[in-house]
Amino acid sequence: MTHQEFELYLDAYLDGELASEDARAVEAHAKDCRDCARLQGTRIALSTTLREQVPRFRAPDALRTRVQTALRAAAGAPVSARRVPPIVWRVLALAASLAVVAVGSWRMATNGAAGQALAEQVLTSHVRSLMPGHLTDVASSDQHTVKPWFNGRLDFSPPVYDFATRGFPLVGGRLDYLGGRSVAALVYGRRQHMVNVFLWPSTAGAMGERVATRQGYHLLHWATAEYVYWVASDLGLAELHEFAGLLRQADSAAASSNR
Amino acid sequence: MEPNELERFERMVLPHLDSAYTVARYLTRDDDDAQDVVQDAYLRALKYFSGFRGDDAGSARAWLLAIVRNTAYTWRHRQRDAALATEFDEEHHSAAVAGEHPAAALDRTAARESLHQALDRLPSEFREVIVLRELEGLSYKEISDVAAVPVGTVMSRLSRARRRLQEALCAGEEER
Repeated sequence: MTHQEFELYLDAYLDGELASEDARAVEAHAKDCRDCARLQGTRIALSTTLREQVPRFRAPDALRTRVQTALRAAAGAPVSARRVPPIVWRVLALAASLAVVAVGSWRMATNGAAGQALAEQVLTSHVRSLMPGHLTDVASSDQHTVKPWFNGRLDFSPPVYDFATRGFPLVGGRLDYLGGRSVAALVYGRRQHMVNVFLWPSTAGAMGERVATRQGYHLLHWATAEYVYWVASDLGLAELHEFAGLLRQADSAAASSNR
Repeated sequence: MEPNELERFERMVLPHLDSAYTVARYLTRDDDDAQDVVQDAYLRALKYFSGFRGDDAGSARAWLLAIVRNTAYTWRHRQRDAALATEFDEEHHSAAVAGEHPAAALDRTAARESLHQALDRLPSEFREVIVLRELEGLSYKEISDVAAVPVGTVMSRLSRARRRLQEALCAGEEER
């Protein structure tokens, strides 16, 4: 084996990638040639130094969150909407909601045109919230962090629950704007699905639950004596009903304890 | 996309986020660029996931890193097109970034600084094999898949890359 051959094979040898016959030739040469043995020593030292001193980076938490949110948005959204700028997203969402009106396929018996318009806004808000960085203003699974966050931001203090033990952990909250007023948006998770709960004080009294389904999104709408609720998600209807049931249960428990 | 398909993707591909970030970081030599590249690469990976046939962690990682690498190169070309040629002078760019390296800020030993600078100054085809082999511990076969070159080329690039690093280190020591 010549010096050149030795140098050619040395790296593969040290990386454990050389066939055993060639490996034996490398070892035999290093035993006889002092210069090549020294070269081998410096290569080993270089690898060691590299591994010790050049860092393998840990991805920042913010990047982790960003990637996860983007993936969910991409997986839940219509096909071509993957790597498009936010403004296009908004246009798409708006187009989707306008198409809804044009086709007139909402099965929701809302209170006329105003209700229809509100349903569109809820859908648009939900889709927009799934875009990277738009989901929460306050990200916390602690209801005692999320509820006080709304203090001074809204003229009411929305009820916030954590249904983690029932499979719907609280993800956080944000301010949103619907029907000409600021409203609370609470975000709950279910596996990789997101559930948006929009609520504001009720002026028209209690109302039973209405359902609408459009392009993979379900909207539930009801009102208690205190709050108007809109719930939006791509979850299956059965699970979304289960979630709405939990919300109503918690609300009525809270109402009776206030009495 | 089916919900359980996203779950499978998150289970198989998301755990390699640190590897993806490390490779992107060394290829772009910039934290912000690296983060954008990683996000872009993950979205591409999700799109092509149905075509991914592997079933173990190792092949998922190599598959993801190939996408990260391609995304980083596409990214760099776009940046190059957008910037004046002088702003992307290789020497100038690497020196600036090497100076900001957090590891360099943590520990200002001369050895570490010069090794970083030497790595950052390597042409990207050498830099990538060093990162994939020394930091990520990929086999030659996996590196050949990621970098889309034959195993023999991986071998010779690694050898030449190490020789260059060695020479740069020796030169650095002689200057002192």
